Amino acid sequence: MAHIGRLGLRTGLVWALALATASWAYAGDALSTGRVRLVLGGEASGSAAFGDEGWFNETEYNRSVVHLARFGVSAELRVGEHLALLSEVRSENLDAPQVYALYVRLRPWPLRSFDVQAGRIPPVFGAYPRRRYAADNPLIGEPLAYQYMTILRTDSVPRTADDLVSRRGEGWLVGYSVGSPYLAPGVPLVTATRWDTGVEVHVGSEPVEGGLAVTQGTLCDPESRDDNSGKQVSGRVAVQPVLGLVLGVSGAQGDYLAREATRSLPAYSRGPFRQRALGFDAEWSRGYWILRAEAVWSHWDVPAVAPPFVRSPLRSTGAFVEGRYKLAPGLYVAARLDHLGMSEIDGSSARVSWDAPVSRAEAGVGVSPRHNLWLKAVYQHNWRDGGVVRSQGVGAAQISWWF
Amino acid sequence: MALSAAAGAALALVAAAVAVADQAGDKAISRPAGSIRGKVEVGRDFGAAEPRPRISDLGMSARRDPPNRRQSVVYLETAPQGAFDDPGTMRASLDQKDEAFVSYVLPIAVGTIVDFPNRDRTYHNVFSLSRTKSFDLGRYARGQSKAVRFDRPGVVRVFCDIHSHMSAYILVFAHRFFAATDADGRYRIDGIPPGTYELNVWTDGSVRETRTVRVPESGGPAEADFVVR
Repeated sequence: MAHIGRLGLRTGLVWALALATASWAYAGDALSTGRVRLVLGGEASGSAAFGDEGWFNETEYNRSVVHLARFGVSAELRVGEHLALLSEVRSENLDAPQVYALYVRLRPWPLRSFDVQAGRIPPVFGAYPRRRYAADNPLIGEPLAYQYMTILRTDSVPRTADDLVSRRGEGWLVGYSVGSPYLAPGVPLVTATRWDTGVEVHVGSEPVEGGLAVTQGTLCDPESRDDNSGKQVSGRVAVQPVLGLVLGVSGAQGDYLAREATRSLPAYSRGPFRQRALGFDAEWSRGYWILRAEAVWSHWDVPAVAPPFVRSPLRSTGAFVEGRYKLAPGLYVAARLDHLGMSEIDGSSARVSWDAPVSRAEAGVGVSPRHNLWLKAVYQHNWRDGGVVRSQGVGAAQISWWF
Repeated sequence: MALSAAAGAALALVAAAVAVADQAGDKAISRPAGSIRGKVEVGRDFGAAEPRPRISDLGMSARRDPPNRRQSVVYLETAPQGAFDDPGTMRASLDQKDEAFVSYVLPIAVGTIVDFPNRDRTYHNVFSLSRTKSFDLGRYARGQSKAVRFDRPGVVRVFCDIHSHMSAYILVFAHRFFAATDADGRYRIDGIPPGTYELNVWTDGSVRETRTVRVPESGGPAEADFVVR
């Protein structure tokens, strides 16, 4: 009880500090002394839903994006024109705050668009992970490629192909006999809920820009500490041929299997075990319209442990299109069509996709009573070719406030 | 805080629209017109209104001059008879330049059409959810402009849907006796019939000072300096 009391006191103090910070940030003022300026901002959002017994909206942290209370405070400490320290601290479902981002931004030449960032850095791959905030997502659900958990894990691997396909559609909680003995969520193609740790450079600005990053983890499993002595290289090039149209191409390659899994492998099954991914993103906007589309192709090398072997690599493709249209001041409608497909492998009895393909349609409305306050309501339907729940409708509502 | 203050100012402006004070009732517009002039000294720091931290950006954002939140508007609380006569359609402009509205506060009379030209190389999306006037101009490019007519007195808070740090005020008056301060804080309201008036100073979302000022029968200028703390 005393422990619970101390925990409650600590959480209360953290929240009091967070609210005080939010109050200061809401005033929109910077704290400035000489060449040093501190600016704060943040976002609070809460989502509630009915349905989703099929775990379609779960994230890797055993949290659902449609059942989530999130409070985040971001800070930028800027020193002159060359240097800035940026951080974002978040608490989800009233848990202890976690550091979501913490990095140094360096601009050697103030008038040139060349920046270096080091630490827990924003991802360069794709477009959605950098606009994941509730205020930037016209709907409540997230694209499948960036959220839906496959049955693949980084610390545990299936012994046989049958072992793998027997878990089809159970990525929300899955386990295998090689590596970690515990049940845990699988990984999505690209994790948008965590940022990776490393160094990145960014060159150029509109109409052509590019970014290149070297990080500890991989797209599917960003890490703050190295867990396999491997590094990921990822990059993106974006062009804006005309104002309002942005086209981006991304690529990434890195070792994704953790030591916990690889040290249990037989001698004939040695790596490297890499995730390779290619991405395409597009955004067009004009007047009251925004249209977006993204596609992610991911390959994972998987170890051969016992026959029937899992045919490597496992492939998955996620693609979505979404649109938002403003009907009136403070009122919009939005919709997204989404699909996640898997390659087929041979089991002992049949040839099937290695995980259950998933499709999703989501549509909703957003209302803004104030410029920094949004209320959203959506209906989402999911279809899955496997698992216990194969068709699931989810209704959800969200309130989000930024400051 | 800012919004409640804005609401207070809105009420004051609406009151100005509907109230022609008894004391002003005998002031004919045709009498020799005078003026009120002076200086508003803002001794208070309203902060720099910086953009929110761009955590997910891949590079440093350009430094921009912050909007002048010290710019004030001085106006008559009650206006003379005849002040509400239709002066015809007027036009004003609120530019979008260097990811800021120019200027931070725009005082206009009811019936004015305000142009919103985009002078940046990026899209802007001007909108307002104010009760006085709500509108959303959508996204449009450099060199293009859209216009909005303001038909009701009150305070209109204007934002950009793309750049959250962009904001401005449009103060819509039912009369024409108002003036914005210049870079030195000076203002001048002309064409005021002789009489005694309540003079308000509005700065950054709130009425900060009120004073009674008498415009002499001779029609000469009256002086009124203010210090906003």
